[in-house]
This record gives sequence, structure tokens and C-alpha cells, in this order.
Amino acid sequence: MQTTIQTSEPSNQVTARLLGFWRTFRKNRGGIVGLWMLVFIILVAIFAPLIAPYDESSSAQTSISDIYQPPSANHWFGTDDAGQDVFSNFIYGARVSLTVGFFAAFISIVIGGLFGLVAGFFGGRWETFLMRFTDIMLVIPDLPLMVVIVALTKPSLLNIIFVIGLLGWTTTARVVRSQTLAVKSRKFVLRARAIGAGKGHIVSRHILPLVMPILVVQAVLVISLAILNESALSFIGLGDPTTLSWGQMLNYAFGRGAMSTGAWWALVVPGFGIVWVVLSLTLLGQGLEQVLNPRLDTHHLMPAKPTVRKEAGEQPAGKGSLLDVQNLSIDYVTEGKARAHAVENVSFTLKEGELLGLVGESGCGKTTLMLALLKLLPAAGQIVNGRVYFKGQDLTELGEDELNKVRWSGVSIVFQGAMNALNPVRTVGDQIEEAIIKHLPDFPKANLSARVTELLDLVGIAADHKDHFPHQYSGGMRQRAMIAMALACNPQVIIADEPTTALDVMIQAQILELLDSLRKKLGLAIVFVTHDLGVVAEMCDKVLVMYGGVTAEYAGVDVIYNDPRHPYTQELLKAFPDLTKPKKKLSSIPGYPPRLDALPSGCRFAPRCPAAFDRCKTEQPALHRVGANGHIASCHLIEASK
Amino acid sequence: MSKETFLEVRGLKKYFEAGRPALFSRDVRHICAVDGVDFRLRRSEVIALVGESGCGKSTLALLLMGLEDPTEGMVSFEGRDITHLNDHQRKDLRRKIQMVFQDPYESLNPTQTIEEIVTEPLLVHGIAPNKSERDEKVKKALEDAGLKPAEVYLGRYPHELSGGQRQRVVIAAALVLEPEIILADEPVSMLDVSIRAEVINLLAELRITRQIAVIFITHDLGSVGFFADRVAVMYLGRIVEIGTMLEVLENPQHPYTKALISVIPVPNPRLRRERIILQGETPNPINIPSGCRFHPRCPVAIEACKASDPPMATLSKTHQAACLLLVK
Amino acid sequence: MDTPPMNRSRALLQKIAWSIFTILFVIILNFFLFRVLPGDPARAGIRDPRLKKEAVEILRIRFGLDKPVINCFESLNPIKVGSCDVNPLDTQFFIYIRNLLQGELGFSYHTNRPVTEILSERLWNTVLLIGAGQILAILIGVALGVFAAWKARTSLDYAAVMVSLLAWSLPTFWLGIILLFWGSANGFPLAGKATPGMSSMPLLQQWGDILWHMFLPTLTYTIVYMGEYTLIMRSSLMDVLSEDYILTAKAKGLSMFQILKDHALKNAMLPLVTVIAINLGFTVAGAIQIEAVFSWPGLGSAIVEAVGRRDFPMLQGAFLLIAVAVILANMLADLTYTYLDPRVKME
Repeated sequence: MQTTIQTSEPSNQVTARLLGFWRTFRKNRGGIVGLWMLVFIILVAIFAPLIAPYDESSSAQTSISDIYQPPSANHWFGTDDAGQDVFSNFIYGARVSLTVGFFAAFISIVIGGLFGLVAGFFGGRWETFLMRFTDIMLVIPDLPLMVVIVALTKPSLLNIIFVIGLLGWTTTARVVRSQTLAVKSRKFVLRARAIGAGKGHIVSRHILPLVMPILVVQAVLVISLAILNESALSFIGLGDPTTLSWGQMLNYAFGRGAMSTGAWWALVVPGFGIVWVVLSLTLLGQGLEQVLNPRLDTHHLMPAKPTVRKEAGEQPAGKGSLLDVQNLSIDYVTEGKARAHAVENVSFTLKEGELLGLVGESGCGKTTLMLALLKLLPAAGQIVNGRVYFKGQDLTELGEDELNKVRWSGVSIVFQGAMNALNPVRTVGDQIEEAIIKHLPDFPKANLSARVTELLDLVGIAADHKDHFPHQYSGGMRQRAMIAMALACNPQVIIADEPTTALDVMIQAQILELLDSLRKKLGLAIVFVTHDLGVVAEMCDKVLVMYGGVTAEYAGVDVIYNDPRHPYTQELLKAFPDLTKPKKKLSSIPGYPPRLDALPSGCRFAPRCPAAFDRCKTEQPALHRVGANGHIASCHLIEASK
Repeated sequence: MSKETFLEVRGLKKYFEAGRPALFSRDVRHICAVDGVDFRLRRSEVIALVGESGCGKSTLALLLMGLEDPTEGMVSFEGRDITHLNDHQRKDLRRKIQMVFQDPYESLNPTQTIEEIVTEPLLVHGIAPNKSERDEKVKKALEDAGLKPAEVYLGRYPHELSGGQRQRVVIAAALVLEPEIILADEPVSMLDVSIRAEVINLLAELRITRQIAVIFITHDLGSVGFFADRVAVMYLGRIVEIGTMLEVLENPQHPYTKALISVIPVPNPRLRRERIILQGETPNPINIPSGCRFHPRCPVAIEACKASDPPMATLSKTHQAACLLLVK
Repeated sequence: MDTPPMNRSRALLQKIAWSIFTILFVIILNFFLFRVLPGDPARAGIRDPRLKKEAVEILRIRFGLDKPVINCFESLNPIKVGSCDVNPLDTQFFIYIRNLLQGELGFSYHTNRPVTEILSERLWNTVLLIGAGQILAILIGVALGVFAAWKARTSLDYAAVMVSLLAWSLPTFWLGIILLFWGSANGFPLAGKATPGMSSMPLLQQWGDILWHMFLPTLTYTIVYMGEYTLIMRSSLMDVLSEDYILTAKAKGLSMFQILKDHALKNAMLPLVTVIAINLGFTVAGAIQIEAVFSWPGLGSAIVEAVGRRDFPMLQGAFLLIAVAVILANMLADLTYTYLDPRVKME
């Protein structure tokens, strides 16, 4: 038996995918409410003859006294201008409104989807032509155009469907085109081409499955717009006179004295139907959008979680150190999920003029740790233990206002990827000035510009770039500007978070040399966060190796490279290429770093550790001192060898 | 041991239009992404193309794959000119040259299972029409790529795998076509250091077990050691130095290679060296400097470098560099 | 990597040229729509069985229907091929264009006054209504959106989002009817722009009267459009606030208020400008409905009246004017964006 259960049929995979989608969607409250509202009204429309108390055409024998009867037991929602039962008409009206909505939207979606797909995928002249045409149609106001066309033709239901459908595709075409372009530029499409796949294959297998979800969301939106348009047309008097849609009901009631007779029911009920359907579609669309295109829905200004402390008791800050981090632990708290221990029990100190390297792989908690120092954690992050002393002051105790005094003037940060770390709509000089104005309010205004020039000069940027915007800078220059900004308020500590990661080796060397020379010139203390062991060896005095949120090893730079004690440090060094030994075969560490929501129960490195034994799988090792020079490593083997 | 050349690149150029300098200007500016590249590749050889961003290495990869058409020059494969092929011929050739991309997160379609991803090339080329034969090939490719046992992975989606595993899936999808060349464009730069070696070692293994030649494109000279037979260093659309791995890494001759090697961090604090840090940045490939394209940043440039574009100087049978100072 | 920055003056020129092209398209569309579709206005007007043959001929000449529609075509509905040798200046199309250039849009069937004259009165009423409504909707929507984003994921945020979704789902004319119903019970004027006989009152009082009449239509307008602006502002601000440069600003020690004011709002407003531009077409749709409900003497009610009275010159003129106004307003919004975003840089 070669074919096992895993090799399932494609149709099963589609069902599985839909089921998976449903499982996520079910949790979206708004979307579910919208879905049920829609299902309800569709059922009402389908079973109209069963539900409606009166026939569709029951106006044959009406007398004057039947007109605008208020709600009663006979007529739950009263009667209208023709003496008909509003409730029955409302139920039958659902049929008309929904029919127009669905069919018109179908036409719009097909046209818009096709135009968008063709324009996005084929590009070139087709794209220019189709998108120019779309742009024209988009700016021509559609309701007036619909009015003109319907007025010049017959206002039959079919005509109305076609007019609404043929004019409502523009946004769909734009949305689908931009999604197609986005998908097309993804590497898996290039890979499919490299495999030799033809255009048809790429569109059907790679583009459509990723455009489809957007198209579904768009369809829901277009249906609601079509229903609104139909009702507006009917209200203006361009509805099909042979049918009674909700808009038509309102047209008759409004035009025939419901207002003056005070017959609110004839006006409220049909409108309620439109609101019901449009709201249900809107909620459904929102829900689908949120599930298909999940956003974190958090931002940097959300209030931070209060610091708590598992271990009471205050330890004074270490003497002579600028920054003294003691037993810092950080959790991520998300509703409905277990707490993730992103950082646990990390301590280090930083003296004046010292350069500490913070090394680790992705997800080891190094960025979280760094953000926590200034309490810049995202809303889900919470300091759950430990202290951060800066010049003897515990930063974890401070409120926002007090922290704002320390931020940048005491400790500043050079962020990774300076393109996004600089505001794109303000000039670089302006952003540097802002920091000075904030922290040095007494700084003479007249000298501001000179100071900015001086700072830029310090990092090797010519003064005439001061008034340029970040996008006019190259990647290396942006990182330099970021450093200039970090220096603006004469901080004692700079935290550099992977400042050279996205840069070329030569630019990286330039930036590293700049940081090193600034450190010597200005006596800065630097925390250098990186995944690059080579950079650390070139520059740092001390190194903190992190793994899975805990300290693996902490020692002077020479010790880390020449006498590492933690198996992770040892293995990492073996995996790192060394140009001085080009013949050396690199080895990799099997497995991959742990995910924060699935940390192993014992030592976090145990599953990948070549030297792991039973105890490692159950018990987390403590931090052990090795030798006298503050060398620390967290491994059971060290305890055993003592 | 006779290893014949089976891929040859001669005078390859690719210029992209970069628009006009002014609204009504007549002349169109060009980005000279690849500006005259020559090299040869032998069977089961590993050549590393090294350079910084903007040196044209990624465009070169697309040209070799036939995903872009060259402006000038030719590529020949097994003695046949493959520069201008029709769709049908191109498709046949695709089986023999496969590509591995930089970002394993991006180069797999998130809506396909691993099985679908690895089967897709077979379906596209109509290889192994019968399903059990196909399943057999897919399993073998996955296991050759180090995903053992294959059954565990077949029904999974890319997001359920780690970065290293994803890159193995990409390699499996290439292997399933039994290619003769794998073009790997920065295959490890997005991976964590601890797992980079596993992908490099996998590629190194394949050249031995399957006699596959590898063109390894990278910005990281450090990672090419031990694995590459030869190294070619690119600058602004051209190869400025080419030689065996040891010749280039231990005895670099071009001033750019020298600088590049000097700034690669060495993971040993006892070996902190003097670095040759070039000032400024790689110039925009729209305005290629006159003469030697490296002269504005070259620490040893002489007056003559501004005027004449240096030819390749032969330093040994296998080692060449394009620098006026080396021409005797 | 980066997209090359566009030359700003070139971008401006391109946008203006494109708007002119679109206007030309609308002018041509407007001509042919009324010639191709079955309800051919002029013929409908003279198809009255009571008219004698001679009278029909006089009317045909008066409406220019004796001339071919355009070279090679006698008429387009039904299609009647004609001579291609006619003097192009002597076709219906050319006469339409010539009249347009002179600002002539024909005479209203209903009042027999020049359409241009009627519409130019009404244009300003619509501009007044849309202007007031848009400004209020934008102000309230932006404020509510900023508030919701700031208080993200609290019950206040959810309430703001729900109210916006509900407002978005309301059919404009129905909301107008409901407010009118409520207004009629609370002494608000029910129709029109001014109380009759007001023109003899002092100017200040006249304006007060107009404002009083404007209250309900503007309120309707504001409620309907506010919801969308709230939602867009919220999501746009949420996006901006989760950008790295906001973290930089926070690390710089700026206060919450400073970050919002100096780093977030301008960036978040940029997408809103685009949305406002794209929305102008829908805006007009709202105006038509509101004017119909409140009998506000604007372009929208002109269209509705023209439809009811089969007054085709009015319909044609009103449509053209609305379309051109929207295209120009859209261009203005586009130009504003170009001006606001430094990424479209000056060369």
C-alpha cells in the first residue's frame, strides 16, 4: 500500500480548507450575527407565500377605509396607500430587493473580477487600457448615470439589474487588480514560472486561490451597494412599476401622503428591511475581512500592562554600573491563550563606555528584553519580575511621564530597519530637532539648526541632506541618521537593535566602525543586539547569549569564543562560518528554536542539545557561575562538573 | 577526471529602462543591471556568485533561468544556445535548471499542501502520468531533501513547518524534476544561523549523490567556504574576480575583493584585523563610472583607472581579476 | 527596492490632463447616451399624435433633428447609415459641442427657460449642502475614528465601530424620511431652502432662515457619511500607530498627545484624502436622495424632477454638470494628496 491517508483527494482538501475557515470564522461575533441575519431574510424571501398573511395582489377589493390603517391584529404593520397589508408586502419585497442585489452584484463581480485579473496578471497595454477605463468609470458618479440610463430605457427589473450590475464593477476591478499584482509579485509565482508552469496553470493554481477570498469580501460589499442603489432608484420613481420592492414601497408611501397622515408604519417598515439586509451584509463582510486578512489590532499607544513582581524585596543597584538589569522576566498575555514566557530571569550590567553584545536567534526574546528596558513593550507584553536600574533608579517602577524624561536623554535606541523607524512625511532634520526640543527645553532655538548639522556631520551625513525626507536617503544613510538622532540628547546608553541586519557587508562595516568610534569619542555604553556572532567578536567587550527567552551564557567576549561552556554557544560557533578557516565544514544544530507558546518543560535547549540527559528534559537549569570573572551559564552539566 | 563545461555564459547584459530624465527628454536612461558577464560551469561543480545588493546577481539568476530576456550576450547549455527559446523549448529546459529562492516563507504557496507543492512540477511537465509512480517520485524527492519520513510532511501546509524545513520543501520541489543545475539565490540568508549549515550541507551532498551543479548566489562571502569550488565576485553588473575558492578567499587580488574579505566579521575576538572600509556606497547602476567602474571607491586607484576599463588579468590557470594594476 | 520618486510637477500635469480627458469622455457619453438609448428625448417630445406633420417638421428643425447625428449616420436608434460626405460642422454632434462651448444646454421642456440658467442657480444650493455635510461628516468621522483607534479594543471602540457600521447601512433617503418625520413633529421646516417671502427680510435673517432649512438635510448627510469616515480613519490610524516610527517617537520620550499630533495624524489622513476623492461620486448619490426628500432646490432634485417630467434637456444638462463637478473635485483631492505626501517629490 503506497497511498496512505495523507494523500487525500483534492476535493477533500477543499472541504478541509473550508472547514478550517469556518472554525475561525465562527469565533467572529459580528460576522456570525451578519450571517444569521442574512440567512433569516433569505429564508423569509424564499418562503414568502407561507409566511405572508395576505396575497401578493390583495388590493383588488379595497375601500377608502382600508388605506393607511394603523397596525392591528389583522395587519401587524398596518396598511399602505393602496390598503394593502404592509407586512405581506414587506415579505414579498424582500424577494425583489434580494434578487436585484444578488444578480446585479453577480454581473459586477464577474466583470470587475475579470478586468482586475487580466489587468493585474498580464500587465502591459491591457492593464493600461483596462485601468484607465476603470478610472474614468470610477469618477463618473454612478447614481446620476443610472438615473439617466434607466430614464431613457424601460424601468423593468431586468433593466435595473443590468444597469446596476454594469456600472458597479469599478471598485471590484481595482481591488482585484491590486491583489493580483500583490500575489503575482510573490516569490512562489516566480518559482512556479521557474518550474515551467504556463500562464493558465499559474492563474488557476496560484493567483485565483489567493484572489478568491478578496473577491468574496468584495461581493458581499457589492451586493449591499446594489440593494441600496435599487432602493434609491425606486424611491426616485425609476423602479419597476410591476413589482413592489422595499424602495418602491417607500416611494409610494412617501409620494402618497404617508407623511401627512402620520402613517409611520408604511415608512418605517420597508426601510427597516433595507437596513436589515445591508447591515447583515456589512457585518458579514467585516467578519470575513477580519478572518481572511487578520490584523493584530494593536498599536504602540495602547496602555501598557502594569509591572508585577513575583519576588518581593529590593536589591540595590550594582555600584559603578550605568545599567543594572536584575532577574527581568516578561510574559506575553493574550486573551484566550496561555501566558507565553518570552523572557525569564535575565540579568546583566553595563558600565560606562562598555559594549555588550546580546546574541540570539529569532524568537529568543532579545528584542522583547530590549524594549522592556524602557517599558516600550507592545500592549500584550508585561514585566512580571525583576528590575531595571538606570543610574540607580528603577525604571520598572516609573510612570509614563517620568519614563519620558529618561527615554532618549538617558537611554536611546537605534532601531532595526531605519526605513520604518523614521517618519516618512517629516524631514530627517526635523525629527532630530524634535528630540532636542523635547528633552533640552532650554536649548537656544537659534542654535538648533547648527546642532542638527553637527550631529549629522558626526555620523558622516552632509548638512544639505538635513531637509530631505527619509525616502531620499539610502539604507546606510538612514541608519546613520537614526544614530545621529539617538545621539541628539547626549544619552549615556545606546541600545542598538540589529542596526546592520538588512545592510550590505560594506555598509555594515561602515556603521559598525562609526558606532565604535562614537563610543570612544563620547564614552557611550552600548547594548548591541544581533544574531551575528562575527560582529560581536569584532566589537564587544561582554556577550550575553540568549536562547528561548533565557540566558544561555554570559561572559567576556574572549571567554565566549574560546572557552564556551553552554552547549548552545558551542554548537552555534560550529555553525558559524569562519573566513580564516575556509575548509571548515559547518555543522548545524538539529531542530529549530522553540516557539514561545510551546516551550519545552525542562531546559529550553534540551530538544536540540547533543549533550542532553534525562534531567534536562524535566528540570530547567539554574544560572551557574563558572570561574571568577562573572562567567555565567545555565546548564546542568556545569553543576555536575563543579 | 574530465569535467566538461556544460553551461557557458558569454557577454551577458541586461539593461532595464529607467524612464526619462525630464518630461520631454528624448533619451531614455538605462539601469545596467548586468553589464557583460562571462563564466563557465562544469558538471557537478559549485560556483558561488558573491556581491553586494545592486551588483546584478539576482538579475543574473533570472537571466540564467530564462525568466528575463537578456539585452545582449548568450547562455549556452550542453553546447546549445538557450538565450532565445520558444515557450516549448524553454519548458523542456526548465527541467534541467531549477531554482531555490531566498525566502522560504514567500516561495511556497500558502494554500497548497507540501504534497501539492512537490507534485506540481511533475504535473506541469507531464512526467509520471500514473499516480503511484508520481507519489513514489515525490516521496523520494522529499527524503532526498532530508524530510524523512516523507509521509509525515505530505499533508501539511507551509506555515506548519520551520524555515529550514520550508527551504527543504523548495529544494525537494526542484529535485523532483531531476535537474542538472540548481540555482540557489541567497538560500540561507533568511534562516537562523544554527540551521543555515543544514541547507548548505544538503546542497553540498546533492552535488555528490546526484551530480548536480550548483550556482550559489550570496552576499555573504563567509558562507561560501568549504562548499564552493570556485568563487566569482561581482561589482556593478560585472565579475571583477573569479578563481577557485582558496585563491579568492586566501589570496584575493582585486582591491574590491580584498576590501570585501577584510570586512567580513571573524568569530574570534583574538583575530580582530585591520579592515579596509570602502567609503560611500555602490553607485547607482544608472550612472556607471567611466573607466574602471570601481575607481571612485578604490583605495589604490591610479590616474589611468579613470580612463580605461580594465580587462581580465590572468593570474593563474583558474584565477582572473579585472584590475589595471594586475595587468603587466 | 524603493520605487523611484515621481517628479511632482509631472504628476500634477498628468492628473490635470487625465481629468480633462475624462471630462471629454463624459461630454461624448452624454451626447450618445441620449441618441442611442430607446427613450430618444427629442423624438419622444415630437411623437405626440396630436401634432400635425408640419408642426413635427418645425420641431425637428428647432431641435436640430433634421441634421445627421454624426458623419455617416443619419440616426443611431434605430441605426440609419447616412452619407459620410456631410459637412462635419453641420451634424447634431458638432452643434452639441458648439452649444456646450457657449454654455448652452438647450431649453427645459417644462419651464422653457434655458437649462444653463436653471442649473447655475441650483448648482450652488447643492454645493452648499454637500459642502456643509461633507465638512461635518469629515470632522465628526475623523474625531470619532481617532477616538476609536486610541481606545482600541475597549467597549468605547466597539461602540464607535457599531454605530459607524449602522450609519453606513442606512439608505440615505430613508434616514431623510425618518428625520423629516421627526422634524415635522418638532417644528422644523419640511421642504425647500427658504420660507416664502423671506427675501424682503434683512440679509442676516435670510441666512438664518436658510440655515434653519438646511439643518435636517445636512444632518442626514452627516450621519450617512460619518460612519465610513470613522471606520477608515480608525483603521488607517491603527495602521500608522503600529508602525515602527511610532515606537521611535515613543522611545524618544514624546507624550501620547505629541505622538498623535506630530507623527500619526498627518500620515493617517493621507489615505482618507484618497477615500474622500473616490467617494465624491457616492456623495452626489446621497445629495440626490436628500434633495428629493427635503425638496432642496439643488441639482439632485433637478434630476429627479426632470425624470418625473420627462424633461430631457434638463436631465442631460444636470447629469453633465454633476459629472464634470465630480471630476473636478476629484482632481482637486488628487492634487491635494500630491501636495501633502512628500514621497511624491519635487524634482
